[in-house]
Amino acid sequence: MSKMTVNERPVQFDMDRDTPLLWALRDAANLTGTKYGCGVGDCGACMVLVDGEALRSCLVTIGEAEGRYITTIEGLSRDRSHPVQQALVAEQAIQCGFCTPGITMAAAALLDRSPVPGETEIRETINNLCRCGVYPRLVRAIQRAGRVALRRETISAAPAPGISAEDAARAVPALANPVEDEGLD
Amino acid sequence: MSLTRRGLLVGAAAGGGLLVAWSLMPRSYDIPLEPGAGETAFGAWVKIAEDGVITIAVPQLEMGQGVTTILPQLVAMEMGADWRQIAVEPAPVSGAYPNLPLAAKWAPLWRPLIAPLSDDEDDMLLKRWAERHRFSVTADGTSLAAYERPCREAAATARALLCMAAAKRWDVPWGECRAAEGFITHEDKRLRFGALAAEAGKLTPPDPPPLLPGNPQDPGSGLSNDEPAFPRIDLPSKVDGSYLFAGDVRLPDMVYAAIRHGPLDQAALSSFEAEKAAGMKGLVGVVRGKRWLAAVAHSWWTAEKALAAMAPRFTVTEPVDSAAMIDQLDDAVRRGSPQRVAERGQGDDRMGTPNLALRYDVAPAMHGTVETAAATARYADGRLELWIATQAEERARRAAAEALDISPADVVLYPMPAGGSFDRRLDFDHAIEVALIARETGRPVQLLWSRWQDHLTLHPRPPVAAVLSAAVRDDGRIDSFRARLAAPSTDREFGARLFENATNWAAKDYAADEADPMVAAGMMPPYGIPDVAVDHVPVRIALPTGRIRGKADGYTVFFRESFIDEVARRYNREPLSYRMEMLGRDVRLAECLQRAARLGEWDGGKDRSGRGLACHCMGDDITGGRIALIARMRGSGTGMVVETMSAAVDIGRVVNRDIALQQIEGGLIFGLGLALGSATSYQNGLPSAARLSALNLPKLGDTPEIRIDLIESDAEPFDPGEIGVTVVAPAIANAIHSASGLRIRRIPLISENL
Repeated sequence: MSKMTVNERPVQFDMDRDTPLLWALRDAANLTGTKYGCGVGDCGACMVLVDGEALRSCLVTIGEAEGRYITTIEGLSRDRSHPVQQALVAEQAIQCGFCTPGITMAAAALLDRSPVPGETEIRETINNLCRCGVYPRLVRAIQRAGRVALRRETISAAPAPGISAEDAARAVPALANPVEDEGLD
Repeated sequence: MSLTRRGLLVGAAAGGGLLVAWSLMPRSYDIPLEPGAGETAFGAWVKIAEDGVITIAVPQLEMGQGVTTILPQLVAMEMGADWRQIAVEPAPVSGAYPNLPLAAKWAPLWRPLIAPLSDDEDDMLLKRWAERHRFSVTADGTSLAAYERPCREAAATARALLCMAAAKRWDVPWGECRAAEGFITHEDKRLRFGALAAEAGKLTPPDPPPLLPGNPQDPGSGLSNDEPAFPRIDLPSKVDGSYLFAGDVRLPDMVYAAIRHGPLDQAALSSFEAEKAAGMKGLVGVVRGKRWLAAVAHSWWTAEKALAAMAPRFTVTEPVDSAAMIDQLDDAVRRGSPQRVAERGQGDDRMGTPNLALRYDVAPAMHGTVETAAATARYADGRLELWIATQAEERARRAAAEALDISPADVVLYPMPAGGSFDRRLDFDHAIEVALIARETGRPVQLLWSRWQDHLTLHPRPPVAAVLSAAVRDDGRIDSFRARLAAPSTDREFGARLFENATNWAAKDYAADEADPMVAAGMMPPYGIPDVAVDHVPVRIALPTGRIRGKADGYTVFFRESFIDEVARRYNREPLSYRMEMLGRDVRLAECLQRAARLGEWDGGKDRSGRGLACHCMGDDITGGRIALIARMRGSGTGMVVETMSAAVDIGRVVNRDIALQQIEGGLIFGLGLALGSATSYQNGLPSAARLSALNLPKLGDTPEIRIDLIESDAEPFDPGEIGVTVVAPAIANAIHSASGLRIRRIPLISENL
């Protein structure tokens, strides 16, 4: 039994200690936002935060993760409100979205360490593979996320999931408010 | 008269009402959309719920190209909806969504013995074939050409009906009602779409549907900060891990499968040590196929470990070996029998002895999708449910049905998005495998291929050897140009696999000796060269080959634009003005060249400038897209890197500008990957590129500054997805020559000399 904290919840995995964290997260915890792309650290699609550091979860065993604090893409924010999430959507720096969780975690860790990263620092740090080619937008998106984190800018590009019908109707007149009318305005 | 895309669009318009007006829907298939509680379905594309949510069915695979935004955007614009009330669902596999332009393009593949379709009668034949075979394949940049019209007609029909319903309530003529932002209005009265949907669904739609005037175009920045008017609808769920791919499906009681295949080609499983995995904690079972071995466990990792322990061995009938293929192609390009696949003027009849003949070589190239093949299946009571990302849904569904010997009607395919494809997901072997494993296991199962298995079994872009020759006058003008390509007949091979469910080896045999014009696509120069001959020498090699983003243009443009550069330099012509002079017949491409030159700070292409250029018209010269690219190198010797890529692109009418830019940026970067890496060799049937890092793919730190001048016009829209790929390798090769004097005539361009 390997015990750790995943997205602020205590978890123990009844799996061999040599199981990569990636497979414990995906197959045992059903946290499928963390992706498998290669299993050997080439692509970065499986990046998660381990005690705040962005690591490739395919290269960390659950034995090694014992006692650590793990944050996956599902736990980065409750409502897509993390500045990196907002900035990636705002800059449309996402295409197929398969590498996106890994990039998000890498960028979140970078901003934690270096709130105003320069272009060179971003290019050297974000080592994730993206085959759709969102790279030209990443530097801009991460720097923008940094400004948001420092409250120099605000973005509301990615709405929170699970919005109530009442709130949706308040924002979008074309949607009906279930407690009010029958379409008459 | 041959069938053009425009002809097809007109054809679709004439009969298109059938698809959208549900009352007129042909009886050969049901209305594919199942309305939920409180929803009204409008034909095959649109559902409107009483709360105002409009759900659009999208019959194309989302693989990052933005199709789940673009088609709904067309519906929203035509209906007068608010973008924020739009939802998307994958359309079920149905004859209601025939991809007619692609069926026409691929007619030589599905009807190989019949000449390309030629008149109106055949047009109906093509339509009937596409409907009957539920041919809604996602490929070749045809989404907009195929579905813009049906989407708009469905939306226009829905809008008209909503207006009619409102008009009835208000007792006014419906033609005076307007639709905007999700409301029907008349003077000071207004009603939400949702409040009218149920009544509207009972009315008879006007025929033909009253389309808005003009063709849809990006309305431009709707908001401040250059925010797109129609932001991608799929992005919010892609940043929080909730967007599900085929490998993210979780079913009650589900188990995980890993698999091993044998070397290429025609390998059969010979032995494995079952006892080595026996008793392994978490192992559920082992499934033995004729040509593969799968292990099933409570986690994929355990299944993979069990396979490693069992060490499956295979016998191989035709082991693939690069050295042998290189010899075969070399021999074929020198001494093989060429077949003419394209010609202009007198072909090579007047060429005589060419002044210049140069040889080019291409290595097999891999797709390198970050997502590996994945599929989830549940088999119960003779019925299979299949969750899979595929560009060819109906083919995958039928292949799975055949494998289980059940009716295709008993296979339900749930279309999932792909984590990149680049034509990798035209293959669907994993659909067959997961069906069999689910049946044998008796539980829902998820099959995931390891990175190594994905590389081992993929069909790479073919290796090619080519000789380009020209008869050149003293002033550099080219009178005759000939290209001779030795390569497997890749698209015929691919067609046999796709349409006949043929094995690799049956497909190779089928394709063997017949030339394949698609292998030489893009070879015809856009320049005013009077006589051109394009020849293919078909070669049956052991390696099964396939399609990749950029298609044949991904190497033919490299040949031609490298060659033109060499002619220019040998005849002391400046590469840009030399090309401009020959482009009198293509004003749009000339404009791209000039704009790219400005953007890329072209300096006359002097030696040591480190700049190189290339241009291309992809597709035919009427409906094709145009691109010109200037690549600029920095450094020298081993430290040489691409510093900037400056592209001018003319793709006609643009529906969603930011998505077009994403596709062009991505295409250029994919082209960079093909120019500098993506390659593999084979030994004993195994690819040397066993892992992603072996493909030398660009990452953020390697990505040059990219500048794009997107020229929009009213010309017919051309898909932005592949055109960027085509010009990168030649522009870089020409830039390397400019920087260092070194001329590289093979891709990838990486060599020991660099």
